[in-house]
Amino acid sequence: MVRPADYPPPVSAGEFVTAPTDAPDDRIDVGVLIVGAGPAGLACAIRFGQLLSEDPETAERLGEVPLAVVEKGRQPGSHLLSGAIVNPRSLRVLFGDKVRVEDIPGYGPVPRESVYVLTARQAVTVPTPPPMRNHGNFIFSLSQLGRWLAERAEEGGAMVLPETAATRLLVDDGAVVGVRTGDKGRGPDGRELGNFERGSDIVAAVTVLAEGTQGHLTGAALDHFGLHGPDPQVWELGVKEVWKVARPLDRVIHTMGWPLRPQARYREFGGSFIYPMGTELLTIGMVVGLDYRDVELSAHDLLQELKLHPRIRPLLEGGERLEWGAKTIPGGGFHALPTRFQAPGLLLCGDGPGLVNVPTLKGIHYAIESGRLAAEAAFRAVKAGNHDPLGSYDDALRASFVWRDLYEVRDVRHAFGRGFFVGAMCAGAMTLSKGRIGLGRLRTTPDASQPLLRTDRAASYPAADGRLTFDKLSSVFAAGNKTRDDQPSHLRVASPVPRDVADLWVNMCPAKVYTAGEAGPDGLVAVETEPSNCVQCGAIAAKGGRLTPAEGGSGPEYVET
Amino acid sequence: MKPLVFLEHDGAELESGAVGVLGKAATFTDGDVAAVLAGRGPLDGLAARAAAHGAARMFVAEDDALDPPVAQPRIDLIERVMADGGYDTVLFSTSVLAADVAAGLAGRLGAGLNWDLVDLELRDGEPVGRRLALQDSVMVDVGWRSTPRLALFRRGVFDAATPVAREPVTEAVTVPATEPSRRVTVVEHTPSAADGPSIGDAEVIVAGGIGLGGAEHFALAEELAAVLGGAVGATRAAVYKGWYPAAAQIGQTGRTVSPRLYVALGISGAVQHKVGMQNSKVIVAVNTDAQAPIFGFSDLGVVGDVHSIVPKLVDLLQERKGRD
Repeated sequence: MVRPADYPPPVSAGEFVTAPTDAPDDRIDVGVLIVGAGPAGLACAIRFGQLLSEDPETAERLGEVPLAVVEKGRQPGSHLLSGAIVNPRSLRVLFGDKVRVEDIPGYGPVPRESVYVLTARQAVTVPTPPPMRNHGNFIFSLSQLGRWLAERAEEGGAMVLPETAATRLLVDDGAVVGVRTGDKGRGPDGRELGNFERGSDIVAAVTVLAEGTQGHLTGAALDHFGLHGPDPQVWELGVKEVWKVARPLDRVIHTMGWPLRPQARYREFGGSFIYPMGTELLTIGMVVGLDYRDVELSAHDLLQELKLHPRIRPLLEGGERLEWGAKTIPGGGFHALPTRFQAPGLLLCGDGPGLVNVPTLKGIHYAIESGRLAAEAAFRAVKAGNHDPLGSYDDALRASFVWRDLYEVRDVRHAFGRGFFVGAMCAGAMTLSKGRIGLGRLRTTPDASQPLLRTDRAASYPAADGRLTFDKLSSVFAAGNKTRDDQPSHLRVASPVPRDVADLWVNMCPAKVYTAGEAGPDGLVAVETEPSNCVQCGAIAAKGGRLTPAEGGSGPEYVET
Repeated sequence: MKPLVFLEHDGAELESGAVGVLGKAATFTDGDVAAVLAGRGPLDGLAARAAAHGAARMFVAEDDALDPPVAQPRIDLIERVMADGGYDTVLFSTSVLAADVAAGLAGRLGAGLNWDLVDLELRDGEPVGRRLALQDSVMVDVGWRSTPRLALFRRGVFDAATPVAREPVTEAVTVPATEPSRRVTVVEHTPSAADGPSIGDAEVIVAGGIGLGGAEHFALAEELAAVLGGAVGATRAAVYKGWYPAAAQIGQTGRTVSPRLYVALGISGAVQHKVGMQNSKVIVAVNTDAQAPIFGFSDLGVVGDVHSIVPKLVDLLQERKGRD
């Protein structure tokens, strides 16, 4: 049996953790440094700003830049993509009575909702499972919400530095002291080009990693400080499109079943979502667990197939695709959470450490809540002048609704490894009992350790017609990706590898980054990459490769995703 | 609107994009177009050519400080010409230098700058630009709320006006000797190694994609380009494979070109390539795949193998050339 995990990427242990290298005078000194301008990082920045404004003395002590946020995308929101139906409770707590959730730019409360189980021709309406009920939740574009939150963070005194990749975690004397930012202007071979700019050491009293899914430094920190939880993290891959439609959609739709296959041996867990975004737009997405085994599975092409379903096609016909994007979602849940969410000088929030509830399809309100709690712990630490108060972050998180929610659904995702029908029954029992009916401990296997199989699945993918269905390359274009081609590759994959592993990557990647070459005499094939197509979804890192941050400012430029 | 056109040149030739903007500006002013020409003297030859292409009046600054392509002294110069002559609009054809100058002027004057324009018209006497937005998928109108107005046009969107013989009317101007502007020195200037006409200015481009099958097959594109008097371009995929230099890359992350004739050899026509060449006047594509997107926006599409078609085409063209 071929497993991608048997062909690990060329990464050396400890490669992304280093002591500061810049001379002390050349380092950029900030009070609290947040990596990632997503909902977690920006909530952290907003809360920290609130606390500082109430305590000018501490603000004064933190120097010229008390609070900085580094973001690898072109601007905040450029790399944010989600469904997104947001439970508003964390936003309400974060802003108190200063901002009403109704006034945040978005698409308002969820109207009606329906859940369909699809077959190739039919759609059977089923009662909405309790965890998927969205009454009282709000529809947002996460990219748009990120831009709005970044403005609030800046108003509160945060310095937001876009186009800045955090490539190394700076650790000195057992404590995190900041990050090193990536070089810019290197050629494919690493040579310094005319516009070369060396990265810098940014040092901080407290570093908050809020990098989102497949966080580069979060992974390095979990390894370095030995924080991995009992289960390995696993991921889902979501691919979505934003459409301008001829007729407004009157409800939120979730689907299960087709085009995924229910048999346990394929391990195809997932479904689709179709949400109205006001009266003119809708978003449609397909999510597939990356524990799948078929080397020909392509989440992008499954989404194209889904759009041709007789029940879904009419929603889109006469409309126009505006945007496309892809992103992974950590799906390991409670058992895959790290043993601690902090280390000396370090706090972890949001999707990075896996604060996502797969059965409810939610994580944004956990990201915001964890960011807010991290800010409070960071504030206590800078006020005390030492790292001891950072431990209070673990306690606060464990006492929060985030912890309770994730505990209740702790075994649901695992159950789907038994196939769709058995999984759905187990999941139902567990969620209806609010977690009191356990399912027994089901250990997960890392996504990259699932043995591969091949079933001629690609034969059913529709050809792109450029109106309703699209190929990968034109989709990358619709992601706004115009990454500089002549930069070093930020993707690490083994090559050569068995044909099955190469084909897995070729088909899995929604952005057409990988191509498989001819087989050599040993039967192994070379894997060629076009890293500038990459939309940094993170799927490759789940399935046997390693994603590192590209040059700052690279990747997609999402607007409405 | 009283426009001024920035005439960029490389010392020997005017940039074709700037000549195109000159022609466009002439349509608004009944031919009374003013332009700025700056560089190391003498610039008489360039001034004569600019006059033939529609510059009715030129402000010529000959100064060694203007020899290197640095923005600051040009910003000082244009600011002075605008103030003295009452010009309220400056038009540029996009280049690295022109973009620097326009951005610097915008900052200096607090002026609005519309960039990447593909057209300009007067509506009720007010200039309105057109630009492509959302990755070139829609066309939007853009205007200015105040004067002065600055406009950067996408390179090559306007054709040069037919040259007419006329005496250049020039007025010598001097660059104000502002101190910080003179501090910039160019340490080194290395042109990228390229043979033949550059793809930015070529009237004919023969471009190759991965359908050519290998670096060695770019010889086909070069032979065809040579007989047509054109330049060779390449797709990102071909450049990525190392088959052709990055300077020849056409598309979203390469150059945007609009030659009179664009011959696409073994190019599928992905949208990333299309946006870099869709404004070409005539597009001819040769590809084995009849379903390739390129045939959706070609004027002439040939379904066939470049390796057999191109050599025959080269022979035929050479034969015809010999006859002429």
